[in-house]
Amino acid sequence: MFSLWIGAYDQGLAYAGLALGTYLTLRVLNFPDLTVDGSFALGGGTAAVLISQGAPVPVALGLAILFGCLAGTVTGLIHTRLGVNDLFAGILTTTGLYSITLRLMGRSNIPLSETPAGILALPDLGLGLDGQWAVGLTLATLGMILLISFLLATDFGLSLRALGNNPTMARANGINQRRGLTVGIAAANGLVALAGALVATYQGFADVTMGIGSLILGLGMVIIGESVLRPRSLPWALLAVSVGAILFRTMIAIALQLGLEPVDLKLATALLLLIALAFGRLRIPGLSADQGRQEQ
Amino acid sequence: MSSAPALSAPALSVPGLSVEELSWGHPLPGSGWRQLFSGFSLSCPPGQFLVVIGSNGSGKSTLLNLVAGTLRHSAGRIHLGGRPLHRLRDHQRACWIGRVMQNPLEGTCPGLTVAENLRLAERRNRPARFAAGFLISAFGGIHPNGGDRRRYRELLGELGLPLADRLDEPVGQLSGGQRQSLSLVMATLGSPDLLLLDEHTAALDPRAEATVMALTDRLVRQLGTTALMVTHSLEQALSHGDRLVMLHEGGLIGDWNAAEREHLDPAALRSMYGAAIVAPQSSSAPDGSSAS
Repeated sequence: MFSLWIGAYDQGLAYAGLALGTYLTLRVLNFPDLTVDGSFALGGGTAAVLISQGAPVPVALGLAILFGCLAGTVTGLIHTRLGVNDLFAGILTTTGLYSITLRLMGRSNIPLSETPAGILALPDLGLGLDGQWAVGLTLATLGMILLISFLLATDFGLSLRALGNNPTMARANGINQRRGLTVGIAAANGLVALAGALVATYQGFADVTMGIGSLILGLGMVIIGESVLRPRSLPWALLAVSVGAILFRTMIAIALQLGLEPVDLKLATALLLLIALAFGRLRIPGLSADQGRQEQ
Repeated sequence: MSSAPALSAPALSVPGLSVEELSWGHPLPGSGWRQLFSGFSLSCPPGQFLVVIGSNGSGKSTLLNLVAGTLRHSAGRIHLGGRPLHRLRDHQRACWIGRVMQNPLEGTCPGLTVAENLRLAERRNRPARFAAGFLISAFGGIHPNGGDRRRYRELLGELGLPLADRLDEPVGQLSGGQRQSLSLVMATLGSPDLLLLDEHTAALDPRAEATVMALTDRLVRQLGTTALMVTHSLEQALSHGDRLVMLHEGGLIGDWNAAEREHLDPAALRSMYGAAIVAPQSSSAPDGSSAS
């Protein structure tokens, strides 16, 4: 039974980048970014291809982040330069990314048989390989939270938050909306691609369809984290959505334990999110009815 | 981060605002076209507090938007301090022009704290112009640090605003009057050459309106900045600013300096609102301005 919990903990932390990326786009930038479905699979596929060909895991993760950033940049440019609607810009990129990821992988599924040496070098806390993953993923998640907290505490981070909060005012204060939005979306997708790479590395395979429903997953993690911890500052919010990722995976583990068929998981997730939206517990830009661009 | 006072007067040796031969129009529903401004000219000496009144659709806010660069004119020139305002990038314009919107929610970021909003306004004066400068300035400072807080607290305290102890509260929790006061302070941080006030008290109750107008007068005088205030309030028009102008359908139909304004009858001024306008006795342009 304990392996169930530690497994859920590990999986939750592997998905933390997805939750953080979703938080960045939806809560900080006020931008409903559907690119995450594509960039998650792109990150997983990139890491799987490189690791299976003998590349060091850090290099694979780094390139996954880079490709994710590029995917986000494309969405940002489509939206800001071509004036395409935010949702449609993400859909366009995601649609294209499916072919790109498939081209990159060469086939729809790549297995990864070996655990990264970096993980095996970590202390196992008496829990074996799951414990080593737990240590590695905890450190990675804390690193991400610290880095994002730092970046959002700089002038540039403040500009991004202002852009999401009140674009008119941000522009009046000389903030370049096109550049800020593009960089923010790129960074968020870099995080999501990292999550895809970590998930692929953790579960031992990458599949070209692994990104389907990522936005919904990320949303679920953000909602749960915010609802449970009710953060009042940005660093706590980042920690909360990471905890939300763990809780979300734990709920899935419990549901599976109680007999939910794995094929029904995404349906159950979608229904949960729909209930939250319908009862007004969640306000998502562009996704909720009667929700303007500005937070009132 | 500069340690210089947040509010200081700009250099006044340069010319103020100059609008010359301005033209602007917009399409009407269907296939029509409305030419609002056609050869419109107006000059405003440096440090002058100019109040603009006029009926709805007269072009007051459009004029402000054209000066602010949020609308682009089809012909003519707009200069500030002898420098052309058209074709300026957002961050350059933000250095020169401070603006207070009509809606208190529009001029601030409700999700950011008071200190973060002030910091945001302060960064206008150190914008990035090149890629390298962008990176350096982007990650150039953690905000708002202890020094910033101290300065903001001093500044707000000096202006008599009860926000000095609420630096860490989200602006969304402030009242409309407090938000508009903050917006005004933000617009004047860094001492812009021009302050645009777009019916900035229209959404406030009389008490908050009086507070914000007193703060407006104080900041404009203290900074010596050129100010352009659009208002529908004749009471404000007759008691604030150095000069009053009235617009009607994109044209200047009245222009009074402070002394001439003293003799204006509010009832007569009120009667000038509307379609059937007869040019008032004082349509000549004091301070060197010219009516279109």
